[in-house]
Amino acid sequence: MSNRYIDPAPYDPDSEASTPARPDLDAPNWLLIWRKFRRHKLGLASGLFLLVSYLMMPFAGFIAPYSPNEIHRDHLYAAPQLVRLFHKGEFIGPFVYPEKATADLVNFKWDYTTDYENPAKLSFFCSGSKHRFLGLFETDKHLFCAPEGATVFLWGADRLGRDVFSRIFYGGQLSLTVGLIGITVSFILGITIGGISGYFGGVIDWFTQRVIEVLRSIPELPLWLALSAAVPSDWSPVAVFFIISVILGLLDWPGLARAVRSKFLSLREEEFVRAAEMMGAKPSRIIRKHLLPNFSSHLIASAMLSIPAMILGETALSFLGLGLRAPAVSWGVMLNDAQNLASIEIYPWTAIPMLPVIFVVLAFNFLGDAMRDSLDPYSYD
Amino acid sequence: MMRILQPVALLLAAAIASPVVADPDMRPPNTSPYHESEFWEDQVKYGILPPIEQRLPEQPIVVDLAAKGRKFGQQGGTLRTMITRSKDIRQMVVYGYARLVGYDEDYNLVPDLLQDVIVTEGRIFTLKLRKGHKWSDGKPFTSDDFRYWWQDIANNKNLSPSGPPSFMRLDGELPRVRFPDETTVIFEWSKPNPGFLVRLAQARPPFIYRPAHYLRQFHKVYADPQSLAKQIAKKKVRSWAALHNKRDNMYKFNNPGLPTLQPWIPADTGKDSRRQFVRNPFFHRVDSRGWQLPYIDTVEMSIVGKGLVAAKSNAGEADLQARGLNFQNVPILKKGEMEGGNYRLNLWQNGSASQIAIYPNLNFSNAKWHKVLRDIRFRKALSLSIDRVLINRVLYFGLAVEGNMTALPASPFFSEENLHKNAQFDPAEANRLLDEMGFTKRLGNGQRLMPDGLPLQVLIETAGERQEVESALQIITDNWRDIGIGLTIRPLDRDILRQHVFSGRTMMSVWYGWDNGIPTPDTPPDYLAPRAQEFFSWPKWGQYYQTGGKAGEPVDMPEAKRLLELAAIWEASTDTDTKSQVWREMLKIHAEQLFGIGILAEAPQPVVVSRHLENVPQKALWAWDPGAHFGIHRMDEFFFNNVEDD
Repeated sequence: MSNRYIDPAPYDPDSEASTPARPDLDAPNWLLIWRKFRRHKLGLASGLFLLVSYLMMPFAGFIAPYSPNEIHRDHLYAAPQLVRLFHKGEFIGPFVYPEKATADLVNFKWDYTTDYENPAKLSFFCSGSKHRFLGLFETDKHLFCAPEGATVFLWGADRLGRDVFSRIFYGGQLSLTVGLIGITVSFILGITIGGISGYFGGVIDWFTQRVIEVLRSIPELPLWLALSAAVPSDWSPVAVFFIISVILGLLDWPGLARAVRSKFLSLREEEFVRAAEMMGAKPSRIIRKHLLPNFSSHLIASAMLSIPAMILGETALSFLGLGLRAPAVSWGVMLNDAQNLASIEIYPWTAIPMLPVIFVVLAFNFLGDAMRDSLDPYSYD
Repeated sequence: MMRILQPVALLLAAAIASPVVADPDMRPPNTSPYHESEFWEDQVKYGILPPIEQRLPEQPIVVDLAAKGRKFGQQGGTLRTMITRSKDIRQMVVYGYARLVGYDEDYNLVPDLLQDVIVTEGRIFTLKLRKGHKWSDGKPFTSDDFRYWWQDIANNKNLSPSGPPSFMRLDGELPRVRFPDETTVIFEWSKPNPGFLVRLAQARPPFIYRPAHYLRQFHKVYADPQSLAKQIAKKKVRSWAALHNKRDNMYKFNNPGLPTLQPWIPADTGKDSRRQFVRNPFFHRVDSRGWQLPYIDTVEMSIVGKGLVAAKSNAGEADLQARGLNFQNVPILKKGEMEGGNYRLNLWQNGSASQIAIYPNLNFSNAKWHKVLRDIRFRKALSLSIDRVLINRVLYFGLAVEGNMTALPASPFFSEENLHKNAQFDPAEANRLLDEMGFTKRLGNGQRLMPDGLPLQVLIETAGERQEVESALQIITDNWRDIGIGLTIRPLDRDILRQHVFSGRTMMSVWYGWDNGIPTPDTPPDYLAPRAQEFFSWPKWGQYYQTGGKAGEPVDMPEAKRLLELAAIWEASTDTDTKSQVWREMLKIHAEQLFGIGILAEAPQPVVVSRHLENVPQKALWAWDPGAHFGIHRMDEFFFNNVEDD
C-alpha cells in the first residue's frame, strides 16, 4: 500500500556529502555582502551619490567658477541664472544672458534686468580666480566660466554677491570631512577601550567603567566655551573647529564603548571564542577576528547614523558660536546666513545649501540602513 | 479750592478745549479743566481713586501738541510691542522717560518731574518739586523721598556698602544735601559739577529718589522688626538689605508693588510671556485740552524669540516696534507694508557715532605689534584703504553716511572735516604710508612682511552676533589684501570678546562707535578720554583711571594725555564756551588720531508703526543716550486714531 520513492538518478560516488544546499551562499564574505547590498536600490543610489560627492571635493576649486569669498559688488542677491543652448531659435552652445542690477529704494531690494540681446557664451577650461588644485599646486583653470562682463551664478548670489554654487562646493569640503574626524576619533577610542573592558572584565573593566562615568558627568557646554576661549587667537576658524571636533570625539567615545563592552561580555562566553582561546589565539586576534565581525553591523550602522548627526551638529555648534563661522565656508555657515525671513521670502536661493544637507544626511541614513542589512549575509527577512 | 490754585494757562487751555468737548462723541463738559479717563472711571465712581483734578499735581506739565506740530489725541487703546528677553520689561522705564530733568526734542535739558531746577555757580542744584505730585499709588512725592534715598539708601552701610554712587562724588567729595521744605531739595558741592543734571536725564538714570512710604516697610530702621523678619523668611533672603534691594527696582521695573512716576505702571506679576502695563492715574503730564497723558491705556509686551520679531511685525502683531529689528529685515517689512499690512515702516537713523568701528588696541601685549598699532601711519593706512562706499552700498543701499567716528550732524559739534578726515578711499596713499613704515618686502601673493620676516597679518576679533559686521569685514579683507595686509576674522562670544580686550590680548576688535553720537556742550566727554576700558582701543588706560591706578597702565601717548587733560578742563569749567571748545578739540584729536576707525554712521533703523498710531515721527534718531530710544519722542503722546473701532 505504501508508496516508496526511489531516486531514479544513479548514485555518483564522487559527489561530496558536504555540498551546501544553497551553492550561491558558498562565496567569499564580501561577495555575499555585495549581493545583498545590491538589492537595496535606495542604499545603492545613496552610496553612489556619496561616492560622487566625496570624489568631487578635491576638485571643488576646479568645478566652481568662482572662489568662495569672491565679492561681486554689482550682483548682490543676483537670482539664479539659467544656462541655455538656443538663442533666438539658433543653437549657439551653452550661454547665459547677462544681468544688470538696479537698487529698488522703495522696497529696498535689488532688481535685475536681463539683457536678452547679448548672449554670453560660457567658456570651458578657462582662466579665473586662483585656487589650489588638489591642494597641491596653484592654478587658475576652471571647468567653466562666464566671459568678461557677464556672470554665471547657477544658484544665484548671496548678500555680498558671492556665488552660491561655488560656495556649496567649497562648503562641502568642510562639511563633509570635518565631522568625520570626530567620529573617527570616537570610534577608535570607543572600540578599543570598550573591547578591552568587555573582553578582560575584572579590574580593568571596573576601572574603565569609572572613567566613563567621570567623563560622562562633565558638562559639555562650559567645556566648549572654555576651549573656544583657550585656543590660540591667531588660529583660523577652521583650525579651531578641527580641534574642537577632535576634542568632541575624545569626549564622545563612552557611549560607544559601553555598547561594545556589553556585547563583548556576552560574546566572550560563546564557544567559538573558547575554541580560539584554547587554540592559543592572542586577545587582540580574538577581538579583531572573532568578536568585532559579529558586531560590525551595529558599528557600521551607528557610524553611518552619527555622520549626519555630526553634519547637522555643525550648524548647532555654529549657533552657540563654537562651530564654524564666517569667513570659513560650510553649509552650516551658509544656512546661518540664510536664517532670516527675507532670505526665504525675497531671495529663496540663499537657502539652497539646505538641499545638499538634506540629500547627504538622507543618503547616509539610507546607506547605513542598507549596510546594516547586508553586513549580516546569512540573515533573511 | 483746587481750581483756584490752577494756573491761568490751564483755564485757557480748557477754553481752547471746549469746542472738542462739545463734540457729540465726547463726554459733556464739566466744571473741571480736566477730563476723567474712561479707563479709571469706575474706580473713581466707587471711590477707589480720587477724581482727576486731585490726582494731578497742582501744576502739571501742559503739553500743547499743536505747538509741537503734533496732533491732539484721544485716550484709549492697547499698544502691542515685543521684547526678546523677559528682563527687557525695563524698556518701559526707558520709553516712558519720566525723569527729574529730561531732554526735549532739541536735546535741551528741561525739568520734567521737577517743577524747576535752579543751578547756582554750577555747583548748587536746587530741585523744586511739583506741589501735589503723587506716586502711582496716590501717596505724595516729596523731598522726603529724596531724603530717604540719600540718608537711608546711599549712606546706609548695608544697602550701599561702598557709599553713595560714584556720580555723586566730585574728586571724592560728597555734596551737602538739604531738604528745606516738602518741595525743595538742594545738592551742594564745593566745585562745579556739570555732569550732574545730564546724568539725571540718562536713558538709565540714577534714581536719586525712592518711594519712601513703600520701602520703609523693608528698611530695618523703620520697619516693625517682627513683620520684617516674617517678610525676610517668606522671601527666603538672607538679610533685610537683600529684601530691600529685591523690592527696590526702579529701573528693572519688575515689582508691581513699587510705586512709580512713569507713564505706565506694571500691571501683573505673571511670569507668562506677556506683560501688561496700564496708564498711571497720577501721571504729571496733560495735553492742553485737559486730557491726561499718556493717551494709550495699556501697553502689552510679548516676549518672543529673537528671530521672530521681524516675522511677527510683518504679520502685524506689533503696533510699535524697533527693538529686535535691523536693516536686514527692511525688505521683508517693506513687502508686508506694500501688500496691505496694517503698519507703516519708518526708517530712523541710528544715533551712535558709528555703526561699525574698528578699534586697534593701543595696549596690545605683543611688543612688536604694539609699536605698529601705535604708529598713526599704520592706522591711517588701514582707514584709507577701506572702501566705505561699497560697504554702505552692500549693507544699507547707500543710505548710511560714510566716514569717521565723530559727532553726528544733529550735534552742534558736527564737522564735515572731521567726518572725512582720513576716511576717503585712497589705497595709493595707504601703500605709500606702509612703504614709508618699512614694510616693503612682500610675499609672492603680495602680502607685506614685517621687518623681522613675519607676514603683516592683522587679527580682528568680533562679537560674532551681527551679520553686517561680518559682511563689512569680508569687504575689508579684500580692501586690505590690496594694500598687502592680511586680515583674519575671529568671531567670539560677546563676553569672551570683552574679556580678551580687557586683558590686552586682542589686536583689534570691532564694536559700535560711541553710544552718544550727538554730544552737546553739557555732555560729559568721559567717553572720548582714556578713562574707560569699554573703549576697546585703550583697555589698560581705562582700567588705570577706573581703579585709581591699581590696575592697568598709565597713559603714555601725548595725544591721549591731552584727551585726559581736556576732560579735566571740561569738568572744572562752568561756561558753555569752554566746554564747547574742549569738545571740538577732543573730536579733532580723535579724527586725526583714528583711535577708533569708524566706517559708517546713521544707519537706518526700521521702526514699525501701526497705521492707527499717530504722533510717531516719520524721521528721527534712534539713540540710546541721549534719547532713550522712544523716550525722547514722548511715547505718552502717541495715540490710536481708531479707539472707537475696538
